[in-house]
Amino acid sequence: MSKMNMQRTGLIIDDATIMRLRLRDILEPYYKIVAEAENGDQALSLFKENKPDFLTLDITMPGVDGLEALQNILAADPHAKVVIVSAVGQKQIVFQALSKGAKDFIVKPFESERVRKSIDRLFD
Amino acid sequence: MKAEFANPFITAAVDVLEKETGVKLSRKDLKLKSAPIPTLPISVIIGVTGPVRGQVVYSMDEDFAFAIAKAMLPSKLPVDQHRLTYSAVSEISNMITGQASIALAGENQTIAITPPAVFVGNNMQVDFLNVPTIALSFISELGVLEINIALSE
Repeated sequence: MSKMNMQRTGLIIDDATIMRLRLRDILEPYYKIVAEAENGDQALSLFKENKPDFLTLDITMPGVDGLEALQNILAADPHAKVVIVSAVGQKQIVFQALSKGAKDFIVKPFESERVRKSIDRLFD
Repeated sequence: MKAEFANPFITAAVDVLEKETGVKLSRKDLKLKSAPIPTLPISVIIGVTGPVRGQVVYSMDEDFAFAIAKAMLPSKLPVDQHRLTYSAVSEISNMITGQASIALAGENQTIAITPPAVFVGNNMQVDFLNVPTIALSFISELGVLEINIALSE
């Protein structure tokens, strides 16, 4: 892992505490996780506040869900690097997320390696 | 209630529990009920909308729930055991429903699932849908898991 990646910052968005902790565990040795959000509203304000280099985004969340949050985040910054991490891997939803501008779609349950490689690829 | 709704949940439950916790689930029982009322003390309710709609209610005892949480994130469990346990069982239920929804939605349709709601206690009063329900139960080395599927087209 390059030293440059250690300076990259990430925002984790998931309504489940256990998934936020787990994603942090997987990514923190390689990236600086600057904040966690548990819904789409919080995600947008933390995104604007922290300007992270990447985001992991769940879809099923209370209030503003992940697909709406994705649109809001990309409206605020069209270059935002968003990787969806969701249990709802239906074809139409994967298609919607990728066509709205998500860089990757990881279906839960996932292997740690799958998550780390997906984020690494954002900066290749 | 179509009997075919059960198969995606059986496959998803076995697959998700094995991937997330390393535990093998075995089918114990299948019953038909008039509503998805759970029989074990910790329950997770997930709503389903779209071409297939209704509720899926997961139910388990405390030992099973603690064991799931411990297997999912052993190093972090002691910090706030109850909060993480409920979060873990919510997330496992979300993953099972999410994976089953892939099969139920097929190629061209979309099925939405609600965020999970956790209920704890044996005497909880909840207004469940009055929908014919398939109740699946599974056994494992961690304990018993029950899935009540109350879905219709």
